[in-house]
Amino acid sequence: MDSLEILDEKLTECPANSEDAGRSSVCEGCPGQTLCRMQGGADPDQEIIDVRMGAIKHKVLILSGKGGVGKSTVAYLLSLALARCQSSKVGVVDLDICGPSIPKLFNVENQPIVQSPYGWKPLVSPNEDVKVMSVGSMLDSDTTSVIFRGPRKTGLIKRFLKDTFWGKLDFLICDTPPGTSDEHMAIVKLLKNVKPDGAILVTTPQEVAVATIKKEISFCRKMGVAVLGLVENMSGLVCPCCKETSEVFPGRGVVSLAESHNIPILGSLPMDPKVTECCENGRNPLENYPESPTVQGIMEISSRLIGLVNNG
Amino acid sequence: KSTACQGCPNQNVCATKPKGPDPDVGDITEKMSKIKHKLIILSGKGGVGKSTFTAHLAHGLSSDNDKQIGVLDVDICGPSLPKIFGVEGEQVHQSGSGWSPVYVDDNLSLMSVGFLLSKADEAVIWRGPKKNGMIKQFLRDVDWGEIDYLLIDTPPGTSDEHLSIAQYLKESDVDGAIVITTPQEVALLDVRKEITFCRKVDLPIIGVVENMSSFVCPKCKVSTQIFPASTGGGQKMAEDMNVPFLGSLPLDPRIGKCCDEGKSFLTEVPDSPATQAYKQIMSKIVEYCTKRNENRESDSGEMKTN
Repeated sequence: MDSLEILDEKLTECPANSEDAGRSSVCEGCPGQTLCRMQGGADPDQEIIDVRMGAIKHKVLILSGKGGVGKSTVAYLLSLALARCQSSKVGVVDLDICGPSIPKLFNVENQPIVQSPYGWKPLVSPNEDVKVMSVGSMLDSDTTSVIFRGPRKTGLIKRFLKDTFWGKLDFLICDTPPGTSDEHMAIVKLLKNVKPDGAILVTTPQEVAVATIKKEISFCRKMGVAVLGLVENMSGLVCPCCKETSEVFPGRGVVSLAESHNIPILGSLPMDPKVTECCENGRNPLENYPESPTVQGIMEISSRLIGLVNNG
Repeated sequence: KSTACQGCPNQNVCATKPKGPDPDVGDITEKMSKIKHKLIILSGKGGVGKSTFTAHLAHGLSSDNDKQIGVLDVDICGPSLPKIFGVEGEQVHQSGSGWSPVYVDDNLSLMSVGFLLSKADEAVIWRGPKKNGMIKQFLRDVDWGEIDYLLIDTPPGTSDEHLSIAQYLKESDVDGAIVITTPQEVALLDVRKEITFCRKVDLPIIGVVENMSSFVCPKCKVSTQIFPASTGGGQKMAEDMNVPFLGSLPLDPRIGKCCDEGKSFLTEVPDSPATQAYKQIMSKIVEYCTKRNENRESDSGEMKTN
């Protein structure tokens, strides 16, 4: 049994993402050693991925660490805003293999994935013609569970990048599951040569969520991913009855986090039941409720993002 | 080694793994045998309140001073329980009989990877096998003692952590899983998959809890559905999937505040409708566990007389 001191060292010194993966002295006895050794080193598929990703101007990761803060919702709204208000060609890749929400949000649930001579054709959403790829679209029914261990998830993510005919895009938004594990390491490694623009971190106001964001910032730092900014989701609820804004998840952590880590706040998105309803039904809130504070918020975030990636 | 394995990234690892039963499972089963009831809290969807529910279920169960409660946090990447219990920064100690969990109260203890990190803000960036190794160590090496309930809080998904828990606890007679959801379809989509997962690994389902069912505006007192049950919510989903529905929990902003402050909402706000709802759900869970015990005892009684 490892002593606690050795464990602490292993926790902080794990070189899983470096050339030493599986080969360092710290790796001895680690259950992941074989896998890391196999997955380290040059990958022949990387060239194909580099070519596909080279045709895409900006690659942005949506990260959180904490579940249920609205990564997929923010990915959805942001991609609509970029397409509609910034005239961009946008694609979204759903890296949440176990819990893929993207097909429902984009209203592509009934579209099958079709093979073409150039690869898998991504689905095209009726909402702003955003191109979408998700494991959700490969499943027979919505009760089918995808019970993959890490390496298989990584393999599928690689195929999303290597085998999908994305074509020329202005933005590829990568929606991720919560955590800092296989999927996150995979996407960073696969995009390494094509220099992704960075990550947008989504959180909700309460401290329990903000605490996990600090880990996500640490992840980005360790993996060499730029942090483009923070989005505070569910920042308040506009009561449809009395129009007063109430705090549902009280907390002031986001502002102090942004200050202490020197990260810009890209914007705050309050909860609007009308927008939530649109998301539930795969409708376009930008078209249906343009005056909603949430829609206004995401439009501001999209223009700030354009400013950041074009100046970077 | 099957033909279905061709091209799978995991193929080499699976093929070269040593065959035969895992000796650690025996040790784990032995440790678990000292624990009367093992409950797993799952979701599939993130942010529905698994950890919040686990913590408050633990607080509720431990309000009976005669009961000993343990909580195991197997969310390696995002361990929230130390904060929710107000024991962040505490140390885990090692003794001859194993790792000692951190005591939140005299009869309530917690183990989480959060206690093993020297810096709370450091990310734990581990691939699946390493997470599995940690979970195995938690199950094998933590000395809970002889306790009445062990609650196991999981991260969202149906992946390594969940498979490992199911695998390592296979012989340990887990009472069942409590599946948490929120009312909206985007959550139910993931939760249906979680129920399918439970069935595939033969994990009995105690029932579904629908969290954040409604929000009462503190100003005008009108109830709003923040997460609309556009397809019937947790109750309909439970009916469709043929699993029991344990109840709904309204969203009281003071719950989030208590979690941030490491306090028990049940003791801080005892008159909230959410507290009442928690208590009702808790009594259903206790009833299930008690009945299961009685059935087991009468079965073994019958076998003895036969």
